[in-house]
Amino acid sequence: MTTSHSGSTRYRERVDSVSKDILRNVRFNQGFILWMGFLTAVLAVCLFAYTIQLRKGLGVTGLRDITSWGMYIANFVFFVATSLVGMLISSVLGLIGFKWVKPIARIAEIIAVAFASIAGLIIISDMGRPDRLPNVFIYGRVQSPILWDVTVVTTYFLVSLMLWFIPMIPDLAIAKTRLNGRPAFLVKAYELLSINWVGHKKQVKTLNEAGRILLILIVPLAFAIHTVTSWLFAVTPRAGWDSSIFGPYFISGAFVSGTSAVIIAMFFYRKSYKLEKYLTDFHFEKIGRVLALVSIVYIYFNINEFLVPGYKLKTLDEIHLKELLAGEYAPLFWGVQLLGLLIPVILLLFKQFRKPLPMVVIASFVLAASWLKRYIIVVPPQAHPFLPVQNVPVEWIVYTPTLIEIAISVAPLVLALMIITILSKLFPVLPIHELAEEETLAVDGHETDLAHIDETAVYNEEKKANNN
Amino acid sequence: MRSILLGIVTFLVIVPDLAGQEWIVPDDKKGKLSTFQFDENTKKSGEKIYSVNCISCHGTPGKGNFLKLVPPPGDPATDKIQLNRDGELFYKVINGRGQMPSFKNALSSDEIWHVISFVRSFNSSYKQLIMPVITSSAYPGAVIKMMLSYNSSDSTIVLEADAVKQNSSVAVTGAEVKLLVHRTFGHLQIDDIKTTDINGKVAFKVPANLPGDTLGNIQVSARFINEDTFGSVSKDTILTAALITLPVSLVAERAMWNNVRKAPVWVILTYSLGLLTALGFIGLVLMKIRDIFIIGESVLKDSEKINIT
Repeated sequence: MTTSHSGSTRYRERVDSVSKDILRNVRFNQGFILWMGFLTAVLAVCLFAYTIQLRKGLGVTGLRDITSWGMYIANFVFFVATSLVGMLISSVLGLIGFKWVKPIARIAEIIAVAFASIAGLIIISDMGRPDRLPNVFIYGRVQSPILWDVTVVTTYFLVSLMLWFIPMIPDLAIAKTRLNGRPAFLVKAYELLSINWVGHKKQVKTLNEAGRILLILIVPLAFAIHTVTSWLFAVTPRAGWDSSIFGPYFISGAFVSGTSAVIIAMFFYRKSYKLEKYLTDFHFEKIGRVLALVSIVYIYFNINEFLVPGYKLKTLDEIHLKELLAGEYAPLFWGVQLLGLLIPVILLLFKQFRKPLPMVVIASFVLAASWLKRYIIVVPPQAHPFLPVQNVPVEWIVYTPTLIEIAISVAPLVLALMIITILSKLFPVLPIHELAEEETLAVDGHETDLAHIDETAVYNEEKKANNN
Repeated sequence: MRSILLGIVTFLVIVPDLAGQEWIVPDDKKGKLSTFQFDENTKKSGEKIYSVNCISCHGTPGKGNFLKLVPPPGDPATDKIQLNRDGELFYKVINGRGQMPSFKNALSSDEIWHVISFVRSFNSSYKQLIMPVITSSAYPGAVIKMMLSYNSSDSTIVLEADAVKQNSSVAVTGAEVKLLVHRTFGHLQIDDIKTTDINGKVAFKVPANLPGDTLGNIQVSARFINEDTFGSVSKDTILTAALITLPVSLVAERAMWNNVRKAPVWVILTYSLGLLTALGFIGLVLMKIRDIFIIGESVLKDSEKINIT
């Protein structure tokens, strides 16, 4: 009894110190206001560009009959891809039992929520008549991958949101009494969102069950969301899209872009939120290995995707591959494959590159290349229509994104950054309760019996003190 | 690099081979002329035929929007085409060359002349020369008539050709004839080219699986192969000689391309069950969150009781 008691005391102390470090960032400081002001200004420019598109139609973009899917769809695929990392980190690695993912899991979920919620919006920007969006639901055809995509993206967003929120419930209960000087609405929100969490044994059990269901559910969902996105392309007979490995090809690519996004976020949180104590070199070393692994898997799928059609060289595949490997798109293609995949993998094999600073540089290259890779997947295959094209201006045949289009494509990134900023300024970015538990575990050698930790008593005491 | 080489090779080989070489029409074919006067009706009919068969490569006459093929098809309104004599145009349409297909089976002689009539309407300096009606050189002074009938007992279409002169009539023998069935696009030749027997008769075997319309009707036409000898005689008629074909609408049955009510069952099941499973688990998790709330509520109530006491 004494051990568990001392354990609970130590746990309480740990909670105090961890929550002090992490809740320090839950506030609206000047930096936050400046950053949000900057994002809002950029967003305003993007929205202005969108009003032009809304008034004049998709003619203001580079999209024409031949290349009707351009930067918007590439952007959409990139966003869906990046959001997949939530599943990889919290679910796949978490369920296997890697303890080091604990501080990263919520960061991955924040990215998943932000990117998945914006992905749908990008599709709307690709519509010439967005007012007809309800028709997707009114006249939706269950045979259409478009409807599957709408369904899985929405479901994945919901489950990601739950996976972000549910493990945070104990943190919200811990934090609600420790938010001195924060706006009243925030305290009220914590109070509401912590749904009467008192750390009761039964609550812990139920929470773990709910978390486990979600962690398992998110795996097929994440596979579905990106496989369906790949099917938007792969169910057509177009050379370059007509591939039976597009599903796994997309998913492995998604892990690459998502992991690099998490590394960048980790680096940023570590520096800006002063979380060096929790996001250590050890975590970077581990996630660096993950990036190397998923990149190698992606290289494997790349080889499959290009070698097999390259060996058979069917007429249309030949035209497409030549254009990609030695033609107009060759600099982009090889730039992406070398700078965004091959060289990063080689560097990440060396320990000295799996440190925070080199890794954030590598991850930035990988993330940028991931975006460009989506562009390569979406645009070049459309450049060779099945029917000969005659008597049209060259800009109808060769797709070049316009300035308006680029501005509109920046908006989703700005929105995602806004969501990430707001979520990480309103709520703890690291799991207080799990980190405290982990450290107590390290000292005590066994898990803290949470039933002995009476958060309610603490809460009531503090409430009484406040009233007095 | 390889594509440049390929381009050079293409240029060196194909271009001189076709574009560089004149399209030579045999002298005896050059002088061929229409037997009827081109007028507004033939022009209109020709325009219709042109817009179905020719426009995809030659473009709209006068617009210069023909396909960029090697050799270039050319705009029919330009000298490239107009400097041909009527007989040359007729020969080229009949035979085709390179990427230009032969219209031998697709268009009848009259239809080709209608197209030429339409093409000539873009040439203001064109003066039409008409050939007097060809009567058969084999049966001078006679009018050759064809009769087509269906013999259901052995599934054959029987052609009977007679040369009628005043009140007497003789069988046209030893004449090669072909039989064509009209399709949506072009014509389908039935059986082989056959020669009329001493009775002026010839039988074409109708394939058992030849589809007709809802009544089993087909439109057939017969033509002499050697029009110089037997004259430009043809016979169009409708015979009930084929299978009754009831067209099935492409959206009649469940299919991927159909509306949602007629979607394939497996798609509906996969989608619905997948979605329901996911929603079921989401619902389960929401219930668990509710449980956490309820447990917390009762614990908090108890602790407040303790605090009061």
